[in-house]
Amino acid sequence: MIQPFTSDPLRWVSEDGQPIRELPARFTPELLRELHREMVRAREFDKKLVTLLRQGRTTFYAQASGMEATQVGLARSLRIGHDWVWPYYRDHALGLAMGVSMLDIVSQCLGTNSDLCRGRQMPHHFGSAAQNFVSISSSIASQVPPAAGNAMAQKYLGVDEITVCTFGDGATSEGDWHAGMNMAGAAGAPCLFVCENNQWAISTHLREQTASETIHIKAKAYGMPGYYVDGNDIVAVIEVLSHVAEGVRSGQGPALVECLTYRVGSHSNADADAEKNYRTREEVNEWLARDPIVRVERLLEHLGAPIDAGEIAELTRATHREVDEAVLAAEATGQPDWQIMFEDVYADIPVHLREQEAFLRAEQTGTAVGGRA
Amino acid sequence: MTATQSKPAAAGETRTLTLIQAITEAMHEELARDERVVVFGEDVGARGGVFLATAGLQASFGKHRVFDTPLSEASIVGAAVGMAVRGMRPIAEIQFADYMGPGFDQIISQAAKIRYRSGGQFTAPLVIRTPSGGGVKGGHHHSQSPESYFAHTPGLKVVMPSTPYDAKGLLKAAVRGGDPVIYFEPKRLYRAAKGEVPAGDYTVEIGKGAVRREGSDLTLIGYGGVMPDVERAAQALAAEGVQAEVIDLRSLVPWDRELVLESVSKTGRAVLVSEAPRTANFMGEVAYVIQEQLFDGLLSPVMQVAGFDTPYPYVQDKVYLPGPNRIAAACVQALNY
Repeated sequence: MIQPFTSDPLRWVSEDGQPIRELPARFTPELLRELHREMVRAREFDKKLVTLLRQGRTTFYAQASGMEATQVGLARSLRIGHDWVWPYYRDHALGLAMGVSMLDIVSQCLGTNSDLCRGRQMPHHFGSAAQNFVSISSSIASQVPPAAGNAMAQKYLGVDEITVCTFGDGATSEGDWHAGMNMAGAAGAPCLFVCENNQWAISTHLREQTASETIHIKAKAYGMPGYYVDGNDIVAVIEVLSHVAEGVRSGQGPALVECLTYRVGSHSNADADAEKNYRTREEVNEWLARDPIVRVERLLEHLGAPIDAGEIAELTRATHREVDEAVLAAEATGQPDWQIMFEDVYADIPVHLREQEAFLRAEQTGTAVGGRA
Repeated sequence: MTATQSKPAAAGETRTLTLIQAITEAMHEELARDERVVVFGEDVGARGGVFLATAGLQASFGKHRVFDTPLSEASIVGAAVGMAVRGMRPIAEIQFADYMGPGFDQIISQAAKIRYRSGGQFTAPLVIRTPSGGGVKGGHHHSQSPESYFAHTPGLKVVMPSTPYDAKGLLKAAVRGGDPVIYFEPKRLYRAAKGEVPAGDYTVEIGKGAVRREGSDLTLIGYGGVMPDVERAAQALAAEGVQAEVIDLRSLVPWDRELVLESVSKTGRAVLVSEAPRTANFMGEVAYVIQEQLFDGLLSPVMQVAGFDTPYPYVQDKVYLPGPNRIAAACVQALNY
């Protein structure tokens, strides 16, 4: 039923919302509505954060609009709080669906006192220990070897957890990606690698990224199965990822799943005019027509359980309220003091950092002499 | 808190070991002490490592605890980070310090930063052991001293022992601490350095130097592979009636500023010795702090004896390395200033 190395992406629901193979029993209208709600919440979060960016209340944001089925579907395929995730920097829909609170993500984006990561990284690089959602690093593919190691530790410790490692298509060109994939394969580590292939690494298209026909076929070289999924079909994403995750959990070794999707928005605020610069309006329109949220709405219509427009509007308003409240709550906690700059560099603060802290304190209070600790 | 020579902190039998035997023993004891400790890297298993630092460990603890990895420094370091985050205490071997390049991003982007960037939610206490330095006819891919790259990265601790006693104690301290530690092993001392090592458990605190010889005329400061030559230089000076104080830093990050400043304030002169290339050498920071803190009390400029700013040569390694004569000449220059 679920075959690796297919030439076309595995799909359960067509773009116009028709099941093209038997819909698994668990996909009741109730579940589909739940998934729809999570995807809309992530989509609206995107819009709100772009607004915050324009208002100058945050300084960086990487949209995931169009990729919600991949991320929400992945969250549904894990044992949350039990499995570990080494994510990449566009995974807020995954984080939200895994239960990282709106307040925690917003706080990190604003760098307030309520930020679990204590204002140490550029916005949109959150992490949350409660969900084993490891703090995000900007350094492309650098999470891949550690994810392999995390999975090796799980195997060593004899726990039934798995590690999930996500990345974009661009990351698969990095040496660290190949090193990590190879390591996990050689070690037989319970690691599920998920490529969120949105086809663009900033302005570089997949075709310039690799001569491989697809990303998932690269799995063959590392001795693991590679699966190809329509990343805009949440039914397919959950079906395939659940199946593969349980295979990984049962000791079959690592696996790679490529979710073919599309980044409808820009890479970040640094390339806000994506259409003008490097891709055509036609291409974007083509993918807008494959919107993962609309596909679920059409599927629900087909199942005779449509969501009405009023419901969606209310959901949208509720999410906007949720973000607004999180922003107010985060901003109310204030900006972290400069002192915390010297904490968490090491387990304990060494003498030279204590001295530098003392210098900065003196400078801040106007009692410094000279320019160095 | 300084001892003239580190005293064994543990009761029990003391034997004469080489530096590499002390390293092996430290890993053996830590593997036995803590289930979370594992040792891995290229050829560390049945082969026991190319220098035999891990000899016998796989036989004693099994492939589960001591294992070979694919030939990839990025994988080795990255896997160590992931294991540490998940609660283990990995000791990763990089076969030669010259090959840290492919693992560099893992060291500086992941190992050094995960505690900081996650606000302390995730930490990576791990040890990366690697043989470094020259003097073994290794050419420039088996002889380099890259410690300054790592000393320049906040979040990492950097150590380099020169005696068997310190090698064991520092390694055990590194395994038990809460931070990523880059543990450089001066390969030319693996078998050349012999000394008394207690069979029992003890640690050497990271960040503390040691006075190897007391003197009042000048302070000679070094670490790692150059230490025997530093001591030879001090002996030669003593024959001329000059008493040099010899300090072994042992740790670069953090380094024992208190010990260094105490000594140089007493002697008024400092000669800094390392074999790493001179430009942006870690000793530049030591010199900087000495002149900043003790400017009025210095009797001569702080001198640096270092490697040349060339790639490490093959045929010429004896002239490349700062031997006792070059070190003593720098001391004479300082004394005659």
